[in-house]
Amino acid sequence: MAVDVPTRAPEDTGERPRRRQRSSQRTWLWGSLLALPTAWMVTFFVSSMVIVVLLSFGNTTRDGFPVFGTTTENFSALWDEVYLRLFLRSLVYALATVALSVLIAYPVAYAIALHGGRYKNALIAAIVVPFFASYLIRMYAWKALLSDDGLVNSGLRNTGLGDGIELLNTPWAVIGGLVYGFVVFMILPIYASLERMDLSLIEAGKDLYHSPFRTFLTVTLPATRPGLYGGMLLVFLPALGDFVSAQLLGGSSTFMIGNLIQQQFAEGQNWPLGSAMTVAMMVALTVLMVAYLRATSSRAREQ
Amino acid sequence: MSGTAPSTTRRSLLRGGLALGAAATLPGCAYIRDEPPVSAPLPKSAKAEIDGDLVYFNWADYLDPKVVKGFQKEYGVKVIESNYDSMEGMYAKIAAGNQYDIVFPIAKWVVKMRREGKLRAIEANELANADQVFYSGSYFTDPWYDPKSRVTVPFTVYKTGIGWRTDKVSGMTGSWRDLWNPEGAGHIFTLDDQDEALAMAALLLDYDVNTAKASHLDEMRKLLISQKKVLRAYSSDDVNNMNGGGAWIHHMWSGDFMYLREGLVENKANYNFEAPQEGTPINSDTYAIPTNARHPGTAMLFIDYMLRPENAVKNINYLYYPMPVRDAVATFTDLAKEVPACDVDVTALENPDVFRLLSAKDVQRRTAAWTEVKAS
Repeated sequence: MAVDVPTRAPEDTGERPRRRQRSSQRTWLWGSLLALPTAWMVTFFVSSMVIVVLLSFGNTTRDGFPVFGTTTENFSALWDEVYLRLFLRSLVYALATVALSVLIAYPVAYAIALHGGRYKNALIAAIVVPFFASYLIRMYAWKALLSDDGLVNSGLRNTGLGDGIELLNTPWAVIGGLVYGFVVFMILPIYASLERMDLSLIEAGKDLYHSPFRTFLTVTLPATRPGLYGGMLLVFLPALGDFVSAQLLGGSSTFMIGNLIQQQFAEGQNWPLGSAMTVAMMVALTVLMVAYLRATSSRAREQ
Repeated sequence: MSGTAPSTTRRSLLRGGLALGAAATLPGCAYIRDEPPVSAPLPKSAKAEIDGDLVYFNWADYLDPKVVKGFQKEYGVKVIESNYDSMEGMYAKIAAGNQYDIVFPIAKWVVKMRREGKLRAIEANELANADQVFYSGSYFTDPWYDPKSRVTVPFTVYKTGIGWRTDKVSGMTGSWRDLWNPEGAGHIFTLDDQDEALAMAALLLDYDVNTAKASHLDEMRKLLISQKKVLRAYSSDDVNNMNGGGAWIHHMWSGDFMYLREGLVENKANYNFEAPQEGTPINSDTYAIPTNARHPGTAMLFIDYMLRPENAVKNINYLYYPMPVRDAVATFTDLAKEVPACDVDVTALENPDVFRLLSAKDVQRRTAAWTEVKAS
């Protein structure tokens, strides 16, 4: 690519010159400030993760209570064509969610960051505020919007635009729910990297007789790539594991991997199998993520 | 970072963190245990007298809040409410040691919890209104799930059938086959509930509703998958699916249908309910007091208060679920007079189509079949 854009990698920010020697008192302060969040993470995150991993080798008592064990039965039970199909379906939904989120988030973030003027912060707040409401509540609201006699369809009927479309209980509704649920995680990082971008670069691109479209492709997009990649990851991961959207907005064939895992912990009474599924998902996602991060960072280095 | 002081801090922090992590895994010990007892001794009944605020654990919105308020006022105690969204969730919390004074388990969970000694005896003589449910000849003096009614008081009874829109479909035959009715294609819903969905298929195939036989499950799976051609979705949100217009034919619970027809819709005549001839699953919810309850006396008074006919009437009019309280039975019969199929004859609890407590292996086999249905 023609223009060399100085993208600021996150680690650069830590390289401020050290101004003064830290006193041991200050270190103590930072150490104790760190202690609380560390303790919190260890107690509630790491240890529950450990329990999940241990349970994945466990079994259930006669009455369905999970107990630790040393069996690998749960993992061999995962080689089931049904589970693979669910995983692929979830993958397709999650990728569609990411693609739609990019298409929505980029123009929104761009408009706010470059043309928001003094309303920038207010506009960002307006986008974030709806997400203070619980995800579950917002999914229920979608149900009311999309149902056959819901707001959207009665609107269509009243304006004579058609006699209604079946929206609820289709794969589209599930993907729509996922996009609505997670799109903010795409908007914010893209907005942040657009905010940080040096606008004179765009002017420079124009001065060099680039069309607006080419300027966007060769200047703006590369400069905001870190935000874009971060946003894609932040949307993809929760979308892949989600079960609420499929449960509330889904149809007869939109069961996702998240629903499957949730089922094992609920009416399936099989926590060990559910734990094995969780562990397998985590391993698969870690592999995918490492591959993704390596690919994107090596591409960034090529610049 | 430079200097020795910070690295020591970091190392000690790490060490402390690891120790904490190890300590925090201790609750995991709950998952090291033997097979559960099959018949634990029954903890003694409490006296019906106030011994503190009531810690109440129920499905959300499953009693008239006005009645609960009345109880607080009359006895000068607070009701501290928490909710569960599944029986498994309720059981897991109690098994983990959480203390509640009153819970509302479904019949087969009573079997499980009584067997494991998790429920306290309820002495009927302590309750002033006991004769409203335990009168002579009442089915509930010795229900199938709780011999001699030692640990529970009946709360509600209900059955599963089919609700439908009379303005949208006509050819209803009074069979579970109606859930395949081509007139309703794209507007048919089956309950997103393992037991209910499998029971529906089992009844059509003339199997036991609790079957876990591989050959039976295989046939049931095929039958349920064949429904997908006309099925809109699996969902337990039956009231909203019907009310939102998406559902024309819905596998649904009788109490939910009554609530929809009598409490929500404008044109009642457009809604009807049938109890299919192959048989209908009948179920009942109960009042029960966990063994580790801290205020069992208040819980006894609470149950007694709910059994007062005037309070039962209020609850029936709020919930639209029938309650076997003698002087309130007429209220429900009257409420259901236009849709008598919704009324539940309690003697029907004697029938074979009730959901029994199954072993974990059986449940897991049934789950596997149900998963395949939903995943296909």
